Amino acid sequence: MSSKHLLIARLLSNRKAARVAFLLLMPPLFLLLGPGQRLTRSQDWFSTGINLGAPKIRLAVSEFPPRSVDQALVSLTGVFNKVLWNDLDNSGIFDVVSKSYYPLKPPQEPEDVVLQNWTDPPVTAQMLVFGHAEVTGSSLVVTARLFDVKNASNPGILAKRFVVMMNEPSTREAAHRFANEIIQTVGGGIPGISLTRVAFTSNRTRHPEIWVTDYDGYGPRPITNFGSISLTPRWSPDNSKLAFTTYILGNPDIFLFSLETNRRIPFPRYKGLTTTPSFAPDRKRIALCSSMSGDPEIYVSDVNGYNLQRLTFSPGVDISPTWNPKTGNEIAFVSDRSGSPQIYIMSADGTNPRRLITGGGDASSPSWSPNGLLVAFNWRVTETGTYDVYVVEIATGRIIQLTHDAGRNEHPTWSPDGRHLAFESTSSGSRQVWTMLADGSNPRQLTFDGENWNPNWSN
Amino acid sequence: MRQRKRSLLFLVGLLGVVVLLGACKKKVAAPPPPPPPPPPPAAPTVTLTAEPSTVEKGGSVALTWTSENATDLDLQPGVGTVQAKGSSTAKPEDSTTYTITAKGPGGTQTASARVTVTIPPPPPPPPPPPPRVATEEELFTQVKDAYFDFDKSDIRPDAQQALTADADFFKAHPEIKFTIEGHCDERGSEEYNLGLGDRRANAAKNLLVNLGVAGDRVSVISYGKTRPVCTDSNEDCWQKNRRAHFVLGSVKK
Repeated sequence: MSSKHLLIARLLSNRKAARVAFLLLMPPLFLLLGPGQRLTRSQDWFSTGINLGAPKIRLAVSEFPPRSVDQALVSLTGVFNKVLWNDLDNSGIFDVVSKSYYPLKPPQEPEDVVLQNWTDPPVTAQMLVFGHAEVTGSSLVVTARLFDVKNASNPGILAKRFVVMMNEPSTREAAHRFANEIIQTVGGGIPGISLTRVAFTSNRTRHPEIWVTDYDGYGPRPITNFGSISLTPRWSPDNSKLAFTTYILGNPDIFLFSLETNRRIPFPRYKGLTTTPSFAPDRKRIALCSSMSGDPEIYVSDVNGYNLQRLTFSPGVDISPTWNPKTGNEIAFVSDRSGSPQIYIMSADGTNPRRLITGGGDASSPSWSPNGLLVAFNWRVTETGTYDVYVVEIATGRIIQLTHDAGRNEHPTWSPDGRHLAFESTSSGSRQVWTMLADGSNPRQLTFDGENWNPNWSN
Repeated sequence: MRQRKRSLLFLVGLLGVVVLLGACKKKVAAPPPPPPPPPPPAAPTVTLTAEPSTVEKGGSVALTWTSENATDLDLQPGVGTVQAKGSSTAKPEDSTTYTITAKGPGGTQTASARVTVTIPPPPPPPPPPPPRVATEEELFTQVKDAYFDFDKSDIRPDAQQALTADADFFKAHPEIKFTIEGHCDERGSEEYNLGLGDRRANAAKNLLVNLGVAGDRVSVISYGKTRPVCTDSNEDCWQKNRRAHFVLGSVKK
């Protein structure tokens, strides 16, 4: 009986809280998260912030034909075509034209290209990717070109030749490299992310371990095999190391792991909880959370873990620091000093802490965008709501919701081009790592085996 | 004179008796005497000894027998036909009377030997379990978890009550070193919950220390939401997971 009364009391108070939250939140949210929740012209600030503001370039990606019927060549050329298409289609800056509109015979050399076939409807492309693959000696040789088909007098933009070993990883890498060249050349000089990786936690071998996969989900591989609890992987700025939390020695500690030597790098173990490491962009410091004082607080240490400087002094949880990667002068973090977890920002010396978003519910998992302008986070606006991924513009406090009505969506992490986010989502029925464009479109599931969560995108 | 008379009388009487006896004797001729019967076969003899006569269960007994004039010797139970002389070992399960039966032309003889089997004394009771095991049991049954509200690490009245009883237990068992685990429900980020679990474990520890438990006996560890006891998505289950839980031993550091 008493528990029933409690429940009713709680429901009532929730309703009251929800009403208050509605009054406080809804006017601004309504504008931002209006019907359809689609990105509109009024959110240009946002599409500019995520480098997706420019109109998409209509791109035709013609199949690269293999120049002989060599079985291995045919198979690897198929891999090249698939990876290249996927990279360009997922880049966020192209509108890749469906293959069904293309001329039947794919061009292999510049002289094969009839520009009009590509500029006229239904293809109506602005640019064309084409080339061919052959075997020379024991190598796969891919000749790849990018044409500006609107520029009849001088259409050639890129011409590349890739000579790689006859195996799938090398072929994939060649396709990723060419995609990166195209994206960087056409997409405002921002390097493509085709060769980046995503670290995450996976329980596919029963225990939570640290794993890494290519950004497109290819080749997941374990970093730890501790049989303990290992969590919160974070890349170093040069991608040579991963920092993470592990219970392998009986207590939650931070480990550093070198991906170059496949060895642990010594890092001091402190009393209590030590977790959520985050490398400063200068590579010289690490922000982390430690409860050595009896309360989880944020500290900054040298990259070797020593010379700790305490940044927060508020009772309650202060955790999940993330640096402004552009300046290295500010740190966003999670604190429940207001009564529930919320996103805050402070200077990198701990001064000037301030709340980043107002409103109720609970907000956590901040990730600072590469250009320093935005912070992605997950937020449950009311206690009975669900967790979704949001982005806030730091300068103005404007907020946009990126995931909707599809399970729990948490722990966003920016790609280095600022055009993508990886996050964990239960939308497929289990907790998995997904990527999406930073406007919320083009969701792609990256992991399928076991449960996978807390992704961190390499730099 | 009288003596002579008496002797005479005796002689006369004797004579009379002899005469009378002779008169009664049959007058047929005596048959030839029959051949003497063959001597009867000798009866078998047998002896049986069991050494020792008292044995612990599972021990061996030596059975030894000798016999004469026997053609067929049967030792029971469990041995069967045997030679005239011999020995055998047996491991009687229970007290047993071994009987050897000797059969021969001269008859049947038996001999027995009793073996008493004693049950060995029960093995010495296992050494008293080390106090650690006993208290683990006690810890399990007597020490109560403290439960928390969502996103909170404040000690509620029910948790205060549980922890006060826990403090009494730990004060009564000053030898125990123990760890308080802080746990959370599935809502909220993995990372925030690591911090929250640490707060809960420390809140429970601080109360125990205030109630007189020495702080150096108490370790704390946060598992955040990584080790739920209940995995459904409802308040019933979430409440079970929002807890400070006690285990024996210290966190290695």
